[in-house]
Amino acid sequence: MFLTSLSDAMLTYLELILYKTYADLKAETERTYLGFLWWIFEPILFMGVFYFVFGVLQKQPVPNFVPFLLVGLITWEWFKACVSHGSSVIYGQYPLMQHVHLPKILFPIILILTDSFKFTFVFSLLLIYLWSTIYPINVAYWALPVVLLVELLFTMAITFWVAAIVPFVPDLRFVIENLLTAVFMISGVFFSAEQMTEGVQFYFYLNPLANLIEDYRKILLHGQFPDWSALMLITVVSLIGIFTAMQVIRRFEYVYPKITP
Amino acid sequence: MNKKVFSLHEVGISYRKKRGIFGEPFWALKKVSFDLYQGETLGVIGRNGAGKSTLMRIMSGIVKPDCGRFINYGYKVSLLSLQLGFISYLTGRENAILGGMLMGLRRKEIEGRIPAIKEFSELGDFFEKPINTYSSGMNARLGFSVAFQVDPDVLLVDEVLGVGDEEFRLKSTKVMQERIRSNNKTVVFISHDAKTIEKLCDRVVWIEHGESRMEGTPKQVVNEYHCYLHTS
Repeated sequence: MFLTSLSDAMLTYLELILYKTYADLKAETERTYLGFLWWIFEPILFMGVFYFVFGVLQKQPVPNFVPFLLVGLITWEWFKACVSHGSSVIYGQYPLMQHVHLPKILFPIILILTDSFKFTFVFSLLLIYLWSTIYPINVAYWALPVVLLVELLFTMAITFWVAAIVPFVPDLRFVIENLLTAVFMISGVFFSAEQMTEGVQFYFYLNPLANLIEDYRKILLHGQFPDWSALMLITVVSLIGIFTAMQVIRRFEYVYPKITP
Repeated sequence: MNKKVFSLHEVGISYRKKRGIFGEPFWALKKVSFDLYQGETLGVIGRNGAGKSTLMRIMSGIVKPDCGRFINYGYKVSLLSLQLGFISYLTGRENAILGGMLMGLRRKEIEGRIPAIKEFSELGDFFEKPINTYSSGMNARLGFSVAFQVDPDVLLVDEVLGVGDEEFRLKSTKVMQERIRSNNKTVVFISHDAKTIEKLCDRVVWIEHGESRMEGTPKQVVNEYHCYLHTS
């Protein structure tokens, strides 16, 4: 009896997550003239800026710089979008929380699904671009789903934590935006670890995103398998992060509706 | 006596006045006690700022009391919320489905009620159009129709019975009153308007300064309430 009612509630929430994701995505496409095309154009514009600065104005730091840059930027932007939106995701649902009880964890889950859906568009485009140039599908592609999954887990951990804490300290939103920029600079999006001295490299690889971006490049550009032990470590850390953040959100389940934004 | 739906025992709840560690607590409710029984319509009367809306949030399980006990004996209690979670770029149908699901219905349940929602809201072809093309009256009609169709075990109504333009307000007030009066429906109706309370409720609780002051038949409580308003 208890189990059936539990799974019934789970199914209700699962359906809600899926429908709300669909609704948010559709609302976003209806808001502009070009609709869902913006999910592709916006990253292209963004990447264009970086291409211009690092590909045209400067001497290219590594050979075949454009694919190198694109792989880093696109996979970084997925993480960044989730975390950046995550900082206002529970905080921003105040009006809804005043009228109905919903598990607050649903909000960041819906957000991550929405942003991940948009990411799949851009990522598919990236793959097509790579295949049409000099980077065909290779045997290391078997590892690609694993790297994607690990990045998803890491993104979930950080996004859940951000969503859990910001309602209590809204000032953090400004800190988070700038922290994201800082991490962006040191994650090797527009440079590679080989350009660094050995001493710095150790610290560089402490950043999970630097590892993930390099793994994507290994697979997509060099046909090499990723660094499994690092992936393993990131997975463990991420799972701990997800679990603890969920506990925090559950602990404050009935406190969030009391915080006026 | 009918079965208990939920009971409140000396319930109190505090909010922080200001953000940060120096924010001193503000007690929106201090000591509220009463029970709700199946099938009855309980009125909650009190002046603005007496803590009625906070009480609604406790009863619907949105927040938990900081002191005292609130026990729900396994019923689904929902606030009558109009236009819950509506997104302006989506159609009336999509918003109805979303609203129903946010209020706890399964997708096939709310989809089964769509024809009734469409008919009651009288939106016609507009039902398939984005709600940012609606007038505010049309929006209110859709909001009410969705909320009315969700129909939880226990319905909490805060002040508003009917909405929209003149004609729809009469119609929505009428169906709402019918539902409240029906014997198998458990309703908590909150208002500062004594007349409606007297007309609709079987029993009334009076809340003043975050405390339950009196409980009894509508006549008794409303009389005392009026005496208090005139003397204070």
